[in-house]
Amino acid sequence: MIQIKNLNIRLGKFQIKNVNLQVRKGEFLVLLGPTAAGKSVIIESIAGLIPIQSGEIIINNREVTYLRPEQRNTSICYQDYSLFPHMNVRKNICYGLKFKKDKNNPQYQRNFKDLIGLLKLENILDRLPLNLSGGEQQRVSLARGLIGDPNILLLDEPLSALDPNTKASIQEELKKIHQTIHTTIIMVTHDFIEANYLADQVALVHEGEIVQQGYIKDIFQHPDSIFAAQFIGVKNIFRIDDLAEFSFFGLKNPGYIGIRPENIYIDLQPLVTDYHFQGTVGNLQNNQVYMEIECCNFKRNYLSYLTINRFFELELKKGMPIHFGFNREHLILIQSAEQP
Amino acid sequence: MGNRSEFIYIVAAITGFIVLFFNVFPIINTFYWTDIHTLKEAMVNREILVSIWLSVKCASITTIIAFLLGIPLAYYLARHEFQLKSLVESLVDIPMVIPHTVAGICLLTVLSPRSPIGRFLEENHIETLGTEAGIVIAMLFVSMPLLVNSAKNAFKWVPTRMENVSRSLGASQLRTFFGITFVLSWRGILSGMIVTWARAISEFGAVIILAYHPRIAPTLIYERFTTYGMKYAVPANIILIFISIIIFIILRLVSLGEKERHDTN
Repeated sequence: MIQIKNLNIRLGKFQIKNVNLQVRKGEFLVLLGPTAAGKSVIIESIAGLIPIQSGEIIINNREVTYLRPEQRNTSICYQDYSLFPHMNVRKNICYGLKFKKDKNNPQYQRNFKDLIGLLKLENILDRLPLNLSGGEQQRVSLARGLIGDPNILLLDEPLSALDPNTKASIQEELKKIHQTIHTTIIMVTHDFIEANYLADQVALVHEGEIVQQGYIKDIFQHPDSIFAAQFIGVKNIFRIDDLAEFSFFGLKNPGYIGIRPENIYIDLQPLVTDYHFQGTVGNLQNNQVYMEIECCNFKRNYLSYLTINRFFELELKKGMPIHFGFNREHLILIQSAEQP
Repeated sequence: MGNRSEFIYIVAAITGFIVLFFNVFPIINTFYWTDIHTLKEAMVNREILVSIWLSVKCASITTIIAFLLGIPLAYYLARHEFQLKSLVESLVDIPMVIPHTVAGICLLTVLSPRSPIGRFLEENHIETLGTEAGIVIAMLFVSMPLLVNSAKNAFKWVPTRMENVSRSLGASQLRTFFGITFVLSWRGILSGMIVTWARAISEFGAVIILAYHPRIAPTLIYERFTTYGMKYAVPANIILIFISIIIFIILRLVSLGEKERHDTN
């Protein structure tokens, strides 16, 4: 179990503010957020690589807050792999073992065999990092991080430097590894799809704070801030102030509603959705696999996605009258005071 | 575009030729000022050999001291941002902008028995003025910035993340430094040591103020030139050129070997 309590860090003008996290043993937590939100700072502080201002870091019931990085038994992997260029793959993988008190424990030999099998490294053990592809380098980096049975594996955007195909395969391997050896993992990414595929739990990080933590499905369905809603792809976010209107949408007080573009239906006939409006077609944009359509009514403009097929069926043109609407189950209610 | 870059290449070729000619021709031309017989005599001349050996020895000691003193500072400067960092970096560079005789006088004010440090040295029977120690101090003063700056750049080349990975895998700061950072920056440091050594062996202005005697090779050559003229200065000159170039080539080859090793990695 990893517990982080009231973590505060100051790095020049940037601050990590009062971060609290709990990761159960064997769980995969993803810190999700935009660039420069402070995700990497959080995991580097868990590894002891960044000094903290206040707070507590507890790993497996041992307080490590003020221990040196080498005393914490964590291991960190970066997006640039950071392999040691003067060592071959075998030496890179086994690097950490020589600092272990029980370095002759046969378990590490077994780990080595398992990892090179799982990560398909058998044929490149004698090669130098310079002669490896990006995917191979990241596999080596993962094996190096995992061989010593760390309390926690910290991954800093491990997939973001890879081409799409390699990324997909390493993502799959990462999932397989987690399912096979049950290491506790905290990964940093800005990619919601990666988080969705890998994470048990997600913590959304925004400007040095954790704004929401929970299961990915819950965050996807119930983002509780405008930032969270925008980050997971809710395009239509509107402030509702009018008393009649906010009760109509089910809000208790003035607040925001959000609706995903893919959940807005368009037709030329009146719709039978829970909420339906009349309006006209605004701007149209072809996005290769779908059409982005602006549905304008006198109050606000909604963005909707239509398949190209459906778009041709409806023969939509700018300015055409349409009916559009959505169902209550897709409506996201945000009782937030913040401005979008 | 093509024409323009061609023009630039032509200019580069002409100026490049001037630069190389300017660097190399005076050295080669020195050989016309002597003959093989005088050169042979000079090569067994005890006074010349002693002074050259002294130069090589003092420059080498200087490089080792600069290495030991400069590496920790260079590493700190490469890895940390702090207030007044640029002031510290400027202080490191100061000896490079001071004329060398001026530097010699500055050092003399510190080492003379009239200053507290000079008095302390004298009371403890540590002689610096007119000794090999004085030569090394003068050489060190003028060449230290070169080592610190080269080593700093070499350390910067090793990503901090690589050190982070090593630390998180269980290596202490010291083991990370020697096992990863130093190994990977060794080539840059070695290049820094070469220029430090070259700078030290070529120092004259600061050295003659602290230690005219014992005479290092540049002092001897200067003395022979002012007392007897070109005929006596040139043979010692040529021997010093040879020795400097040979040592330079050896170190350069070692450094290139390191580079190739890194490149193939």
